Amino acid sequence: MSQEIVSQPILARPANQKKRSLFAGDKVLGWILVTPALLVVLGMVGYPFVEAIRISFTDRMIGRGPGRWVGLANYEYILAWPEFSQMVVRTIIFALIAVFAKTVVGLILATALNQDFRGRNVLRGVFMLPWILPTYIIVLVWRWIFDGQTGLLNQILMSWGLIGENYPFLARTGSAIGLLLFVMVWKGYPFYALTFLAGMQTISSELYDAAKVDGAGRIARFRYITLPGLRQVMGVVILLSTIWTMNSLEIPLLLTGGGPSNDTEVFPLLTYHLAMQNFRLGEGAALPIMMLPIIALLVLGVAGAMDKEATQ
Amino acid sequence: MSAYFDRVPDSVFRVFSFVVITLLLLLIIFPLYFMATTAFKFEREIYSELTWIPREPTLINFQNAIYNFHIPLYARNTLIVALSTTAIVVTISVLAAYALTRLRFPGRAIMARGVLFVYLIPGSLMLIPMYLIIVKIGLKDTYPGLIVANMSFSVPFCTWLMMGYLRSISTEIEEASMIDGCTRLLSLWHIVIPLSIPGIVTAAIFIFNNVWNEFIFALILAQDDAHRMISVGLSNFYRSDYYMVGPMMAGSLIAMTPVVLLYIFSQRYVVSGLASGAVKG
Repeated sequence: MSQEIVSQPILARPANQKKRSLFAGDKVLGWILVTPALLVVLGMVGYPFVEAIRISFTDRMIGRGPGRWVGLANYEYILAWPEFSQMVVRTIIFALIAVFAKTVVGLILATALNQDFRGRNVLRGVFMLPWILPTYIIVLVWRWIFDGQTGLLNQILMSWGLIGENYPFLARTGSAIGLLLFVMVWKGYPFYALTFLAGMQTISSELYDAAKVDGAGRIARFRYITLPGLRQVMGVVILLSTIWTMNSLEIPLLLTGGGPSNDTEVFPLLTYHLAMQNFRLGEGAALPIMMLPIIALLVLGVAGAMDKEATQ
Repeated sequence: MSAYFDRVPDSVFRVFSFVVITLLLLLIIFPLYFMATTAFKFEREIYSELTWIPREPTLINFQNAIYNFHIPLYARNTLIVALSTTAIVVTISVLAAYALTRLRFPGRAIMARGVLFVYLIPGSLMLIPMYLIIVKIGLKDTYPGLIVANMSFSVPFCTWLMMGYLRSISTEIEEASMIDGCTRLLSLWHIVIPLSIPGIVTAAIFIFNNVWNEFIFALILAQDDAHRMISVGLSNFYRSDYYMVGPMMAGSLIAMTPVVLLYIFSQRYVVSGLASGAVKG
């Protein structure tokens, strides 16, 4: 007992000294290094966020001064709007379908690319093209292809004799929704495939060999080795992509512009239209704030379904 | 079901993979092929008939895009904004990521965890206040306005990417150097930064590409021709009543060139950086 008390300070001193020399001034240095980033986040994300909430309680319009305080009027206006619930449901369903499709196609492509064959690296590079190319270029090209008058798809279908006259793909509800989702998936799945592939390559081949010896079949190996091994990667990708997909403004804005007759109007697009076309900043700000709980719930749901470590 | 699949020989699975890869590949190449060939076609050929190869290849669309539609000006504007943003964001983010992964100070845990949660904020929510703030501080239609706006989401993203990368680097060399009397900042400069070059290159390419490809801020914050970004310049080829497919495709080829070149040059970096940073991180 007494020995311990005597020996403790002797043992503790060098340990403390070592710690001090390693982490001396960490508090000050840490804050100095973090401050620029913190200022950017507080100034260009935090402050605008608070501003958005404040503007949503005013009737501010572009070019008409700061606007008056109107309380919850903007929120009531949006809630009373007959198509609001449709718009919410549409936004969520589009995002869920797109994320699901990207996950499935990404998994299939990653599994296919995870085999040894010549030219695999070249192929992997080509498959990354949709992901690295600017979204606006991709959407402009697809929009021209789907165009109802001079579009390429119409030219091809006509030359093959499949249709007798031009079909306005982006002006019909069904095809417009389908093609919007198609372009979102086309643009998005390569990123899934690349990260899934990177995840698959970290899974030890010994696991597969051992499972084979134990008589596990192809499906069983995918189900019990590949999928659990990909849990963390899939968690991160699906989490981020759900948010990106729900907030995607560029693809619907450039491809359909919300048409035909608002059938592809999702919430980021409606915000844009309210603010930048109708100049109604108050209502434009209120709309995404109302969508925040839905986005947060979705994200928490996805995050909760996956490993908690995945969000770290 | 499962047993049925197990009886299928490996060769069938290889054929199946081949078919899937081919189909997806065709879907990727199809629009890009027609973008590239259409850029070399005359207007009348584009509108009148379907040709797989330009009948009389021409550079007139490129001439149009360059001399009549100010593509070089837009490209220069975009390059200025993208390079500046990348340099500032990478510097700020590497410092922050180093502090958040290596130093112990009050508030670290909250900030390290909060970095990713900035993504919870919808971009459309930031649209209106960002527009008003940039107008208010007099930075609308300027390069600094676009740089500041692009920094908003890039800094947390880049910090998060770098944190993942730094965590994957062993701290032993740093600790050894500091036991030998190296200060924190010296070890950051001489050891951590050289070791994390792949991560930094990955992050820089991500930020550059994001800014080069950015459309929404460019659309609302730079509305005068002198400061227009290439994304907005190109989408302006597309009017609701008519549009100039030839120059648009030529302009698109020009606009995607730096991104593609950068990617080919750095594919190794990006893939490994992504794997260690974003995936394992």
